[in-house]
Amino acid sequence: MPSRAGPHSPAGVGKSLPERGLLLLLMVFVFLEGSVLPLGAASSPDISHKENVDNHQVAAVVHNNTKKAFPVLDLDYKHVQTPFEISLWVLLASLMKLGFHLIPRLSGIVPESCLLITVGLLVGGLIKLAGEQVPPVLDSRLFFLCLLPPIILDAGYFLPIRAFMDNLGTILMFAVVGTLWNAFFIGGLLYAVCQIQPANPNPLHTLELLPCLLFGSIVSAVDPVAVLAVFEEIHINELLHILVFGESLLNDAVTVVLYHLFEEYSGQGTVTVMDCFLGVLSFLVVALGGVLVGAIYGILAAFTSRFASHTRVIEPLFVFVYSYMAYLSAEMFHLSGIMALIACGAVMRPYVEANISHKSHTTIKYFLKMWSSVSETLIFIFLGVATVDGPHAWNWTFVTVTVILCLVARVIGVIGLTYVINQFRIVKLTTKDQFIIAYGGLRGAIAFSLGFLLDKNHFPMREMFLTAIITVIFFTVFVQGMTIKPLVELLAVKKKQEAKRSINEEIHTQFLDHLLTGIEDICGHYGHHHWKDKLNRFNKKYVKKCLIAGERSREPQLIAFYHKMEMKQAIELVESGGGVNLPSAVPSTVSMQNIQPKKPPPAKPAERALPQLPRGREEEIRNILRGNLQRTRQRLRSYNRHTLVADPYEDGFGDFLLKKQKMIELEKKIKDMNNYLTVPAAPPDSPTMCRARLASDPQAYRGKPDSDNVPTIHVDLASPQSPDSVNMMDEFRRAGQQQKHQQQEENQGLMMKPPSGQSGPKKPGEADSDRDQQKLTRCLSDPGPSADEDEDEPFLP
Amino acid sequence: MGSSSSNMNHIPDAEELMQETGFSSAHLLRLYERFEFLDREKRGELTPDDFEAVGRLALNPIGGRIIGAFFSQGQETVDFASFVRILAHFRPADTNRRDGAPQDPANSRTRKLKFAFQLYDQDGDGMISRVELLQVLRAMMGIQVTEEQLQSIAERAIQEADLDRDDAISFDEFKKSLEKVNIDHKMSILFLR
Repeated sequence: MPSRAGPHSPAGVGKSLPERGLLLLLMVFVFLEGSVLPLGAASSPDISHKENVDNHQVAAVVHNNTKKAFPVLDLDYKHVQTPFEISLWVLLASLMKLGFHLIPRLSGIVPESCLLITVGLLVGGLIKLAGEQVPPVLDSRLFFLCLLPPIILDAGYFLPIRAFMDNLGTILMFAVVGTLWNAFFIGGLLYAVCQIQPANPNPLHTLELLPCLLFGSIVSAVDPVAVLAVFEEIHINELLHILVFGESLLNDAVTVVLYHLFEEYSGQGTVTVMDCFLGVLSFLVVALGGVLVGAIYGILAAFTSRFASHTRVIEPLFVFVYSYMAYLSAEMFHLSGIMALIACGAVMRPYVEANISHKSHTTIKYFLKMWSSVSETLIFIFLGVATVDGPHAWNWTFVTVTVILCLVARVIGVIGLTYVINQFRIVKLTTKDQFIIAYGGLRGAIAFSLGFLLDKNHFPMREMFLTAIITVIFFTVFVQGMTIKPLVELLAVKKKQEAKRSINEEIHTQFLDHLLTGIEDICGHYGHHHWKDKLNRFNKKYVKKCLIAGERSREPQLIAFYHKMEMKQAIELVESGGGVNLPSAVPSTVSMQNIQPKKPPPAKPAERALPQLPRGREEEIRNILRGNLQRTRQRLRSYNRHTLVADPYEDGFGDFLLKKQKMIELEKKIKDMNNYLTVPAAPPDSPTMCRARLASDPQAYRGKPDSDNVPTIHVDLASPQSPDSVNMMDEFRRAGQQQKHQQQEENQGLMMKPPSGQSGPKKPGEADSDRDQQKLTRCLSDPGPSADEDEDEPFLP
Repeated sequence: MGSSSSNMNHIPDAEELMQETGFSSAHLLRLYERFEFLDREKRGELTPDDFEAVGRLALNPIGGRIIGAFFSQGQETVDFASFVRILAHFRPADTNRRDGAPQDPANSRTRKLKFAFQLYDQDGDGMISRVELLQVLRAMMGIQVTEEQLQSIAERAIQEADLDRDDAISFDEFKKSLEKVNIDHKMSILFLR
């Protein structure tokens, strides 16, 4: 705990002075937080009093003309109260986040959510100690309208669509049937338990069936925020992650319907068959309506982004605003806002990403991660504060029975459903999987907010409900959250594979998709692949044309994937300083938008000429390149939402080392090379290689204009070295083989004209690369986290 | 399905096939019905024309190859047994081995991959050469892609997968490059359990 650890840091951990300072600051801050809020409450009567006095004085002035001193320094807290408090809370949340990572041991044992709740408890306690009214922070409106949407949008935008769709049936089963089962089981049994104990008159006896069922439906829903927070840290394999997480998202529809249904009819006391039927209908409307609303807004966003090429700076705004509007519109009609948000994010993403610039993409990613992080932190802190605050009515029976029933219901539900589901799955769910799914059913702040929304008049047992809900939340988050990590280790559950997709996987996966579709057609079976294929065709034929600007609408998935990979690799290589060794410039040959059609290379390739550099020149070039490149920290390959630290054990690192090795080999080859094969002349108007997005960036660089005697060295400016270096290496290899096989291969890599009387073709190239290096450092100042979670997912592959 | 047993008698070597491929009698029957549907001229065998009559295969970029895979070397026709044997590759893997099941069932991971590999490797030399890879890429991506782009992708793919530097992808290299993909999931049709 930062507040305890400040001045009493354990001697063993040699903390540096800045860290201690930060912890001290945190401690001070927490106290400040505790004191300012009551100040806010306290100062308002002060201010109003002062105003009264002033009024009197003014009135007196009218009569007496007495001058009062001009207030040089004044305290007017009321004026800024609300934004100030909000900022304080956000600041507290952010500093907490910082603080936790300074204590490595603790963050390894205890999940962040637990620590945050504890901090919330502390702050709430401080406020209460100060004798003031705890602000109603987990006000349902604030929660549902401000705190929840960023998290859900983040989840929806980066949802792994392929995994999600593959397991959609399973997820729906768990979300719908599972939640229904939980709700009725818990509600019903609670009612039964409350009815027994006839001996002593028990306040529980007054509890009727419908409120019990309502309570059951509130407490049975798995919470996406809690699941995200805990599962993120355990790095479990994708299947389980998407199952539990998908369930937590989709059960919102069920919860909304059940909640409204039982709330409506609790007053009346009876539910007829007609009502049940209406309930089912309502469920369909809520769920499908939510998805529809989301999809509509998603398409609108995609369509808008198509025209945004001239105002790149506000592109991210469209994504955020349309999504938020989708959420609000759905909430307006009492449809499922969460499903709307997910649908919106998932629908718009492939098209928006094809339209927007690279920087906008980074902005969107960063903003979403930032907001959702802060939101999540705030939610947990507020949970702690609200716990301290809320009027509690502790009832041993009710609470313990609730907790036990929650666990039991979850386990039975998962086992039963898996048994049914496994009949229909190709990859079956094992017992280990079932255990993790059951254990991962965490409850969170949504349950609390729903409980908070209950009307005291209709539900006299509201406090008891709230206490029970909080207990369940605490139990699941603390006990289950803390123990799930060791259990995952103990059971040796498969972890997440950190590797990025290779181009081979991509090609073969597409190939297999086509193969399976063909086989299904031969068998006359309209299966999974058939419908996927149909959807893909529809998408390609109609939708992409509408929603994606320009040439990119016709770009096959594989090309986009390939290009992304090259970009990433290039950025990596340059940042690590590995690309310095090559005198630049073999351009990448992947042509994108804004490329003029290339003339076919001459039928009879002339001699290939690799530049023959005098040794001194080479050295010079190398030094210049080395000097100008900014040595930034190795970017990490795949990342966790909350950490932006490179993990040296990630797969990409090994890959990168391999590349570095290749670079060194290549350098050697250049040194050895004296007499080598030559490259054919490049056609005078070689295509420029900027990506469409970079080209329209305000800071984009244009390729140098072609002129006849200048070797047409065009560098892909975000990646000056590596695709070139890779291609150069290929060229060498190919050239080497040529020596062996004596066959003319088409030149694909190099596009340099033979040095036609110039002192060194490198001269203009060098200047070029100089400038490029400097420009490059600007461009690379913030390429953003290279997450593999979103980069490599083709839409509907 | 009262007449199922009598229909089963029409299927030549039904028992043997079931044993070999692991299909249940219901599935075998369904496949036989499909076979008869495709075999419009009622010859008891299928020709490439019969396959091409399945309209959707024409839209499939590798439709021709798939049809070709049914006809082993030099053969003009496919009988029911071969038809079933090919389709047996696409059964989901058995989680529990039945007694008497063949040691290397058609739907094992290796066999599935081998089948896919053979679709790439048209000349049957056991290696996917650059040319063959280019053909596949060209087929999958149609006319929107320039030759240059295809070359880059093929180059990159071979570079990644080719571990022994012979500029072609052998079956082992192919297997290795797909080790992270759940082949059982990717290459199974639920229908054919």
